[in-house]
Amino acid sequence: MAADIKLDKERSVIEFAGFSFLLIDALDSLDVENVQYHSAVIIEGNDTDFIRQIVRRIRGHNSPDIYLKPVFLLKGTNLVDPMVNKLIDGTLFSLDQIELIVPEVERILTKTQDLHFTNSISFEAQMIEKVICFMYTCEIRDLDPIPYIYSAVNFAYPILSVNFRQKDEHLTLDILEIAEQEGLFNSTYVDRIYLCPGCQSGHMSYREVCPKCGSSNSTTEDIIHHFPCAYVGPLSDFTNEIDDQLDCPKCNKRLRHIGVDYDKPSVLHECKACDHKFQDFNVKAKCLNCSQDNLVEQLKSREIRKYSLTKKGELAAINGFVSTSKDIEEIIGTVKFDTFVTMLKYEIERLKQTDGVSNICAIHLSNPSQIYSKMGSEVQKVLLKDLVKVIRSNIRTSDIISFQSSSTIILSMNEIPTRIAKRILSEIIEMLKRLIATTFKDIEVEFEYEVIKLDHKLSPQLHIQKLTKAFS
Amino acid sequence: MFEELIDNYIRFLQSLTVEHFIRLFWFYIFFEFLRYFVLEFLVLNLWKLSKFFNRKKYARAKKDFMFEYPLVSIIIPGKNEGKHLYKLITSLNEQTYKNTEVIVVDDGSDDDTPVIGRDLEKAGMIDKFIRNEVRGGKASGANTALRFTKGKYIVHLDADCSYDRDAIEKIIIPFYMDKDVAGVGGNVMVRNYDDSLVTSLQAIEYYDTISIGRVVTSHLGIYRIISGAFGAFRADALEQVKGWDIGPGLDGDITVKLRKLGYKIKFEQEAVCLTSVPNTFKKLTHQRLRWDKSLIRFRVRKHKDVLVPNQAFNFLNFFAFMENITYNLVLNFKWYIYLLDMVANYPSQLVNIIITNILLYTGTNFIKFVIYSLYRARANASYTYFLIYIPCMVFYFGYYLRVVRTIAYFQEFFFKRSYKDPWNPEKTSAHAQRMKL
Repeated sequence: MAADIKLDKERSVIEFAGFSFLLIDALDSLDVENVQYHSAVIIEGNDTDFIRQIVRRIRGHNSPDIYLKPVFLLKGTNLVDPMVNKLIDGTLFSLDQIELIVPEVERILTKTQDLHFTNSISFEAQMIEKVICFMYTCEIRDLDPIPYIYSAVNFAYPILSVNFRQKDEHLTLDILEIAEQEGLFNSTYVDRIYLCPGCQSGHMSYREVCPKCGSSNSTTEDIIHHFPCAYVGPLSDFTNEIDDQLDCPKCNKRLRHIGVDYDKPSVLHECKACDHKFQDFNVKAKCLNCSQDNLVEQLKSREIRKYSLTKKGELAAINGFVSTSKDIEEIIGTVKFDTFVTMLKYEIERLKQTDGVSNICAIHLSNPSQIYSKMGSEVQKVLLKDLVKVIRSNIRTSDIISFQSSSTIILSMNEIPTRIAKRILSEIIEMLKRLIATTFKDIEVEFEYEVIKLDHKLSPQLHIQKLTKAFS
Repeated sequence: MFEELIDNYIRFLQSLTVEHFIRLFWFYIFFEFLRYFVLEFLVLNLWKLSKFFNRKKYARAKKDFMFEYPLVSIIIPGKNEGKHLYKLITSLNEQTYKNTEVIVVDDGSDDDTPVIGRDLEKAGMIDKFIRNEVRGGKASGANTALRFTKGKYIVHLDADCSYDRDAIEKIIIPFYMDKDVAGVGGNVMVRNYDDSLVTSLQAIEYYDTISIGRVVTSHLGIYRIISGAFGAFRADALEQVKGWDIGPGLDGDITVKLRKLGYKIKFEQEAVCLTSVPNTFKKLTHQRLRWDKSLIRFRVRKHKDVLVPNQAFNFLNFFAFMENITYNLVLNFKWYIYLLDMVANYPSQLVNIIITNILLYTGTNFIKFVIYSLYRARANASYTYFLIYIPCMVFYFGYYLRVVRTIAYFQEFFFKRSYKDPWNPEKTSAHAQRMKL
């Protein structure tokens, strides 16, 4: 062992080059919370199950101080678990090699410092944030699905799947779909899986069964067509008890040569359970998790896709990802952003015919990361609901409110002079500040706002761009 | 020229005496008029009377049938018939008699038939779809279907047909009228009668010659072909004859096989099926060559034992065969003798004889068409539609079909061409020829 490596056997800690490495060699003594006090983790062991469990507990933790920590393996043989391989940052074959991993530890810790963690509104947002932060620190561009025997859906996205119990693993697909809709990922098709409609498990036993009773207990016999007399029947019709020859039961002639005087145009299956004779099996998939027997047509088909982090995804990792569009769409009193854009388009069209003045306004939280990082998801939802409630009570019912993002609220103020719209908006901002000061005492919120008059020569998209330009 | 022809013809008619008339038109008088009008008309009236007197028996048979409510297996073998299946199955699902099972056999189709068949099976519109990957011919297809049937009665259908709502019910009732009946033929009508001249002519032929002809032969007990398009059989009788033998002409063959076992065969005029007939003379010629060859192959060769007095001799079967052979085969050639007779003995009168023959046949056809409308079950078109086509029937029957029949007989007599017919796979036809089947 190199002279400058200090091993504290009692604490299982290695000090080297200014970094503290937590050495884990047993599951019983592991306190996963302890990981956050060290620069990296080294897992020592050759038992795949043991290593898998340790890695799952670290990467599956909720705290970025734990799940983003560099993790290395110290072992004598190559590990074959593909999921674990994707979740670790490197392998050591002896502690003497520790200096080789130092640059990697340094890089990951530096990248981690770039990140600004927020408390996401929903579980989905929380998981998305975790995935993109991990990908950012590990400098991974693509989230590849790996075929994995321990996965309930047969494919695992390691950093995401590790957060779920087997029975909930199908949720990883929903979460990645949401992340793609938010523009954080691009995806390409990889494969298709079929899940049990009852429990969403992908572990199935596929069997050919009787179309009448569903039993898989059947026998198969060739059907023989005797050319000279056109008799058609199963092989057993032609066999006799004396020898191995085949004789036609219709014309008593001996079958001589396949293709010359007879052929076998098809097969006949007979169910041993119900005696039903048939040609085509039904294919059924028995779920190995919940035992439900499904026709293959009933299985739920899902696409397995490979996801690549976009620039927006990278920025979301750095700035924190608070909520998905779905989260904010659920807030009562608002319309979907797409709906808002459509209605804006109609308003612009209407203005071409009239002399009226209409406006759109935006209210922007200038420091969302600071705010959301101090709040739990429920409190965040309460904050957004309160903001909407105040705005709604100060504008007319015909005006509409929408979230462009979790930090930007857009509203319409139609048939009202811009000057008055600005005054109303500034009053709303004051009321919002007072609300937050009384309700959330420790939080300081900064607002920016903007009002623009609708110009019938511009498109809705240009209006929105103009409106939110100052905020970005 | 035309006036001269008319004058000449009027003089010819004025000079005709009864003896002269009989001498010149013996073929029409003794064979055509007597057999195809007088005798037919007489039997039709007897049939009508018997129908009237048996109406209670018929009602009882219907009641017995409905009381027993047996399973009827409908089998539809065919190759590349997928496109017709939906229409056919729809007409079957509309049937008044519901206790049926429908089995479709795909005899090695190379189109979408397997996909369509499996879809219909999955949708529950048919009970079973069976596919033979290798084509074996119509008989093997029907026998494959037979293997899967569970019904007391088997109804054999062609996929390109559709059926009256009560067709299945009507075709089964005759089995309850007489326990010796083992097969019942349905009444086939032309669906595409207005497609072309050739389909209109065939529609008249199906109305008058085929349908009425079968009523007559059925009543006389000599009905000999249960149409493959619509025929019903007792399952136990089919089991006895071990199903169908190799075609072409397998529908006539199985009827003979059943008759030879002593069973009765009936025609049910009210069990109506609509079929699409060939719409060009070329296609019709191919069809009729195939049909006509089977007379030689099955009546004259395969089942010639019917004509031999032995232990299994049956007078009705003998009579049915003789009637068939006489009127289709012998008289076909006798007509040429008549023609030679006229050419040799009355060359100067030949034009007048031909004109008179045409007028006689056309007049008879008109009268038959009008009078027979009283005896038809129903028509699928207005009778008046066909009246303008009646004058063409003399050329259709008298010349076109006669020539086709003659060619068919020659081909089969001297060259056994039915064994080369692509309608049947060569592998089976070769065996049938070797074994003289």
